[in-house]
Amino acid sequence: MKDQISALMDDEVTLYEAEYLYTALKADGESRECWMTYHLIGDVMRGSPVLSSDLRQRIMQELEKAPAVLAPNADMSPTAQRERKIPVLWSVAASLAAVAFVGMIVHQQQSQPADEITPLEIAQSLPTEYLHAHQSVAPSSAAYYIQAAAYSERSK
Amino acid sequence: MIFRWLLACLAASHFSLALANDGHSDDPWALLGKAAHAARDLSYKGIFVYQSGSNSRSIEITHMNSGQGEYSRIVMLDGTPQEVLSQGSNIVIFSSRDEKVVIEKRRGKNLFPALLPANLDTVRTSYAARVSGSERVANREGVIVLLEPRDEYRYGYRLLTDKELGLLLKVTIVNQDNEVVEQIAFNQLNLLNMKDMAWFKPKVEPGKSYVIEEEIPASIEDSPEVWSLGQLPPGYRQIDHIKRLVSDKKATVNQLIFSDGLSSVSLFIEPLVKGARPKVGQTTVGPTNFYASVKSGYQVVAVGEVPQATVAQIANSVHFK
Repeated sequence: MKDQISALMDDEVTLYEAEYLYTALKADGESRECWMTYHLIGDVMRGSPVLSSDLRQRIMQELEKAPAVLAPNADMSPTAQRERKIPVLWSVAASLAAVAFVGMIVHQQQSQPADEITPLEIAQSLPTEYLHAHQSVAPSSAAYYIQAAAYSERSK
Repeated sequence: MIFRWLLACLAASHFSLALANDGHSDDPWALLGKAAHAARDLSYKGIFVYQSGSNSRSIEITHMNSGQGEYSRIVMLDGTPQEVLSQGSNIVIFSSRDEKVVIEKRRGKNLFPALLPANLDTVRTSYAARVSGSERVANREGVIVLLEPRDEYRYGYRLLTDKELGLLLKVTIVNQDNEVVEQIAFNQLNLLNMKDMAWFKPKVEPGKSYVIEEEIPASIEDSPEVWSLGQLPPGYRQIDHIKRLVSDKKATVNQLIFSDGLSSVSLFIEPLVKGARPKVGQTTVGPTNFYASVKSGYQVVAVGEVPQATVAQIANSVHFK
């Protein structure tokens, strides 16, 4: 089972070929969630091959520890099967739908009345999106650590 | 008699030379070079505290390099949960929110204690270095190296390097008026002696959905640029360019990153949206200075932990064709 999940994560086996495996994983709610998460993390790490193989190994260890019901659900209707396939594609959809911080800036700007196009003093409306974007990308280390603080202020 | 006196002189001068050479502790650049390499080559685990004004965060770092490259995990211990996993220059950030965890991918940051670049040439041109006493931090003895800016376009750095390991123990950034802007210091530090990699994974939160916040590499969105850069502040050069797509996919925001080897500035250039309220002027938030202006229908904003003059000059260096 471990090898098959690993192959699945490596895209060596398609989901259709591993239907029973998926069903087995699905039978347990929590381990399914974990699997989705691991899959997505795997997607992220895939850009860096060494990292992904390393992380994958540990994911597999985690999966081994996680409880999984191995009996396939025999009376699953095709519709139900289709529905249950969606979350796998979800990771792709989520990454496509991810909107960068900039979207928020534009949204804020568009929500302003159209006649108010006189410039605004930057001190009066602090652009935390810029600050966040700067801190998450700039290579200077010190400022990086207030990123968490900026986040928490923004999310309030 | 004279011969004997000469001998004594020779012996004495030899002795003092030997003292001066002891661990080359007088050469600030040698200490900084050692600090840059120690942070990347050693395996260590510790907790350090970041402080800026009333803002304070405790951060745990695990860093391992057993000859197979660098692995590190950084965990924010205070406030909003956040983790940074990195291997070499690949960085993945996991930020926990109310009902989801946002995953961001980044590249090549000089994170504390690997604050100093391996190649110090760019730092040398903008800062003067000198050794200035010693201090004890996290139960370790350190040597203080001061990096003083050669002009008004950057802040000063007070770096405490471990006497034995070379590792940076503490960094204090001070402005022109000698006020502390930011400070990072270990309060706990241990060397690691293990090969086990079990620690190298994020904490998974089963109840939350994981989403990727993606940036668009400059190579994908290859539209020709309508601006050019004029005179930058001395010592600063562009080190990165990131394009982000706005939600309606009609325009991109350009983020250009500049650095002098230690401090860095982001420059944002984006077309003004119809009905938008442009931002102008300057402001300071904690250690960060902002400068905003509007040019030829574009919003230009410079942001950085540098003096106001630096963000202003970088923003004003933008010229539209």
